[in-house]
Amino acid sequence: MTELLRLENVWAGYGDAVVLEDISFSLDAGDSMALLGRNGMGKTTLLATLMGATQLKSGKMRYAGADLVAVPSHRRAHLGLGWVPQERDIFASLSVEENLSVVARPGPWTLQRTYELFPRLQERRANMGNQLSGGEQQMLALARALMLNPKLLLLDEPLEGLAPLIVQELLTIIGRMAKSGDMAVILVEQHARQILPLTRQAVVLERGRTVYAGASEPLIQDKSQLDRWLGVGGQ
Amino acid sequence: MKTIDIIHNEHRALGAVLQALAYVVDALRANKLQPDFGLLAAMVDYITLGPETVHHPKEDQYLFARLRDRSPDAAQLIAKLEQEHQDGYAMTVTLQKALIHYQSVGAAGFAAFAEVVAKYLEFTWSHLNCEETELLPLARTALTAADWAAIDAEFADNFDPFAGADGEFAGLFSRIVNLTPAPYGLGPAAAT
Repeated sequence: MTELLRLENVWAGYGDAVVLEDISFSLDAGDSMALLGRNGMGKTTLLATLMGATQLKSGKMRYAGADLVAVPSHRRAHLGLGWVPQERDIFASLSVEENLSVVARPGPWTLQRTYELFPRLQERRANMGNQLSGGEQQMLALARALMLNPKLLLLDEPLEGLAPLIVQELLTIIGRMAKSGDMAVILVEQHARQILPLTRQAVVLERGRTVYAGASEPLIQDKSQLDRWLGVGGQ
Repeated sequence: MKTIDIIHNEHRALGAVLQALAYVVDALRANKLQPDFGLLAAMVDYITLGPETVHHPKEDQYLFARLRDRSPDAAQLIAKLEQEHQDGYAMTVTLQKALIHYQSVGAAGFAAFAEVVAKYLEFTWSHLNCEETELLPLARTALTAADWAAIDAEFADNFDPFAGADGEFAGLFSRIVNLTPAPYGLGPAAAT
């Protein structure tokens, strides 16, 4: 696989505050990575840094062979970075189908293929964004990111605040997205044991620093380290 | 120890359906919902077929069998859990009958159905808790690396907690998710 993203010794934060310290990792095209850590360890800040929403103090970020740091934040989506933030941010006054169509870009994820992954959204295609339940809104946020046909999809705690039934359903869908190979996926979650089986790689952050960067498989089997870094066996 | 992750996953999936069933029955009791017998039947199907055809056979045949060989101290606990597997299936049959009765006679059948559901939920949560807090910790310490490798291989054929051997549970689970009222599922929310 070709390398899509490489971070080298990245330090970043907000204003004078440094949140990320000396972060380095790489991700191949079509690969998948779990980004793990307790609350406040820098996971969301790392995604925000990739999208240009923080202050980069030092270090290098290369994306598809080019310098990502030089690209203004508003241009990064056009390069193929798709971000699904915790807030969902769907358009309440547009229908489900309009929410999807308005952002569509050419690529393998067409409206039809997206509906195949989210049949519930096809059933609700005429409903307005504000007529959806929380779980449906999260599905729409994920589906809308796919319609951008990103090369790199950033998912920030997509299961947060959802009932267990919906969490289980979304885990299955996210697993299919990650295994599709159409895009690389970085998945931020606190429930390590549920997402590590869905990803090939994992990075664990502790107080803004990398304490693990490697394959997901050995990490999920290492209960003591998961306990230490994430608590309760990684849940 | 992929086996333990598979068991955790299957417990989480079953637990999610149990939680949703408890919510639906509570909402029916409070007259916040009209009975959706399609949803109730899907839930009862899942909690009957999932454990009986996918989950318990793996535990009984592979994990329990090897643990019994390795740890004589585990014999009593395993016997209790095996009995509970049988009792649990019998309770799901009672649950099916109570649901059919409820559907046949309408509101007059709700109290009996709710009582059977409550007994089933209490029994099953207790069973899952026993496996999570007693059996699995014991298995972690008593079984050798070679044992786990063998059990992992035996479990590997059946990883997806929803798909089952033939993928039949994936659709059933999605149907439950779609029909269960929000915020527990994706269906229309119950009256407030």
